[in-house]
Amino acid sequence: MWWGIVLVILGLVVGIALGLNLPLVIPQAYGKYLGVAVLAALDSVFGGMRASLEGRFDNAIFLSGFFVNACLAAGLVFLGDRLGVELYTAAIVAFGVRLFQNLAIIRRHFLGRKK
Amino acid sequence: MKKKELVSLGLIALALGFLLAFTYRTANRVERTVPYDRAHELTLELKALAKERADLEAQARDLRAKLAKAKQGYSEAQLALEAEVKEAAALAGAVPLEGPGVRVVVDNPPGTAGGTIFAVRDEDLLKIVNELRAAGAEAISINGQRLVSTSEIRTAGSFINVNLQRITPPYEILAIGDSAALKAALEVKGGIVETLRDWGVRIQVEARQQVKVPALSKPLRFDYARAVETGGKS
Repeated sequence: MWWGIVLVILGLVVGIALGLNLPLVIPQAYGKYLGVAVLAALDSVFGGMRASLEGRFDNAIFLSGFFVNACLAAGLVFLGDRLGVELYTAAIVAFGVRLFQNLAIIRRHFLGRKK
Repeated sequence: MKKKELVSLGLIALALGFLLAFTYRTANRVERTVPYDRAHELTLELKALAKERADLEAQARDLRAKLAKAKQGYSEAQLALEAEVKEAAALAGAVPLEGPGVRVVVDNPPGTAGGTIFAVRDEDLLKIVNELRAAGAEAISINGQRLVSTSEIRTAGSFINVNLQRITPPYEILAIGDSAALKAALEVKGGIVETLRDWGVRIQVEARQQVKVPALSKPLRFDYARAVETGGKS
């Protein structure tokens, strides 16, 4: 368990350092796809946390959900833009709602009061 | 199993950190870069401004052409004015003139000093000038004195004054005009030349291709006369 926390913190620090120092720059027009991808990734992470707290954590689902959700979210928003449909807002709302739901469930778990 | 989960946790933590930092960077570039919509807007504005600029340039070209035309008109008007001034000066006797005409030399009869009744008198010169004018002479001078509208020919003592200047014989009268007509007018049968010759006055008339009449020595000027305004208020 402690190894896990250390690994997570180490991964976060290395990832943030990489992201801040990479000489790669994404055009502003693609910034919103990145934003949606981040939202999807955060949702996956909180989903994973909730699953582990509920005792039904599946590594394969977690790992695939993280990347596939992020890529799919960004891809769908991109497709929506090509088609003239504002899928961006839909993605934000969907992931936002799920995120807050997951957070609420995690909070309840920590408070020890199951629904 | 546990190890696998640890690896996946680390991997996801890394990916999440990377994504967060990268998005943070991208989002914070908003102020420094131009959003897509804004770029579009600016492009439209640029196009509009370019068109406006082209229009203004065309307008400037047009105005410049008009200005050039106006300047040309101005210089033409100036040229016309200058020509008019030149012509007026010629008519007023302010400039020397030349052209075809006649030269008449009148001298007292031989052996007579001035003062005899046979000497050339102011009336004789007046008559010659009169004849020349009647025949269409445009400019006349006597002994270098240009005859203008205010010129007088009169005896003052034993001399003749022209333009208030004393002149002495022989009198040389130069006239510009149709030389043949002038000569004929003077030498007509029973005319002034024949009459003067009968009196014994020596007089020669010669037609010339080129006669040069001098300008008025003193510029013509009016101290009392004023032009009446025409076309002004009544």
